Amino acid sequence: MDRETLTASIEAILLTASGPVAVAALVETLGDGEVDEKAIESILESIEVSWTRPDSGIRLEKVAGGWRCVTPATLDGVLRSYHGIASRQRLSQAALEVLAIVAHRQPVTLPEINFIRGTNSASVVRTLLERRLLRLAGRKKVVGKPFLYRTSKEFLVHFGLERPEDLPDPEEMVMDESAPVE
Amino acid sequence: MMTIEEQESNAPPVELTVFSGPLDLLLHLIRKNEVSIYDIPIVSICDQYHEHLRAMQELDLDIAGDFLWMASWLLHLKSKTLLPSTAEGEEDPREELVERLLAYRRVKELASYLHDSDIVRRCLWTPEVATQTRSSADPELDWEDVDLRLLAQTYLEVMQRFEASHPPPLEVLPLRYKVEEKMTDIYHRVRSDGLVPLLRDLNSRSDAEEVVTVVVAALELVRLRGVFAEQRKAFAEIYLRPGDRVLSEKELLQRGENGG
Repeated sequence: MDRETLTASIEAILLTASGPVAVAALVETLGDGEVDEKAIESILESIEVSWTRPDSGIRLEKVAGGWRCVTPATLDGVLRSYHGIASRQRLSQAALEVLAIVAHRQPVTLPEINFIRGTNSASVVRTLLERRLLRLAGRKKVVGKPFLYRTSKEFLVHFGLERPEDLPDPEEMVMDESAPVE
Repeated sequence: MMTIEEQESNAPPVELTVFSGPLDLLLHLIRKNEVSIYDIPIVSICDQYHEHLRAMQELDLDIAGDFLWMASWLLHLKSKTLLPSTAEGEEDPREELVERLLAYRRVKELASYLHDSDIVRRCLWTPEVATQTRSSADPELDWEDVDLRLLAQTYLEVMQRFEASHPPPLEVLPLRYKVEEKMTDIYHRVRSDGLVPLLRDLNSRSDAEEVVTVVVAALELVRLRGVFAEQRKAFAEIYLRPGDRVLSEKELLQRGENGG
């Protein structure tokens, strides 16, 4: 496969994939023994460059260990108007706090989340499980065997992270203890 | 965030925000008073906290137990602060509170980062292509995709489907009563007693299988004309009396086998 065909094929796969596409999956589909990860990555990078133009409505992004195509955030209004979507529900403060705790300390149990937040978070956790931003990751081997929670792949995709560790360190964010928190 | 200004004649104005928990409210008070988180003036903060709770109660806001629990903890700390410390080098009673506030503040920081990220990221759209089969190139099962809850749910669904398509087999137990035995029994009783109340006889038996066998036996006897059945009116007692044929032992057993 020549580079032109490869580029076209990768674009086509990205455009029709239902989630981030791993480079390894591209190599397996397109590689005929000659194409390796390096070659695919170089093509992905040139696609990224060619799409990142003011007159282009698609962007390439690296997220959750793969690549996917998305629209630029600036076109949200146009798209919502075309699709007739008024507004989308935001994550509540409680939901964001629970996500922050799980993302930072995973795997973590509900009692641990409750303790850090100082308030019961059972219903928030349930909602986040339903929205698939959290996932169950077994049980902790302590009395009562509480469930352990982790962030999901959806979480990484939604917040544009490649790995959970890519989240900023809250210790670094609180440099000055008198700085406003909100 | 919703903010309600509450002005009372003798109470200082209390700003009511919807706090996500008691720690959130405490952080707010510490910031408002411009005091250090490491040196919280417990007496003043405790009083303000209780003032807030009172205002929330007056506005009929649902106050979760967590807020009340914190209120009692603050009172406890306040009383400890007001008492003269007995020993030098004693642990600061506020230490645990400070640690929890610091941990919670880190969470709030991260939550606010996620909030900003959420605002931008939810404006991104992705192609929506309904794929029926996943490509064969799928290298391996992606563990990030495996959710125990989903797995458990899937298992239940599979089991439900399996049970629906595989109903439990019908269990056929060997018959514990034989029609021919009952036929012989009833026939001889009718012959000797002249009149046998069938319903009373059936009611005296507790085993449903035996009842069925007796009914079948009685019907068979009636068919063979060895016994006649009489009922004066609907739902009344059914009396069995001798029929117009005399049945031999052999006939009873043979018919019984056919009837059974």
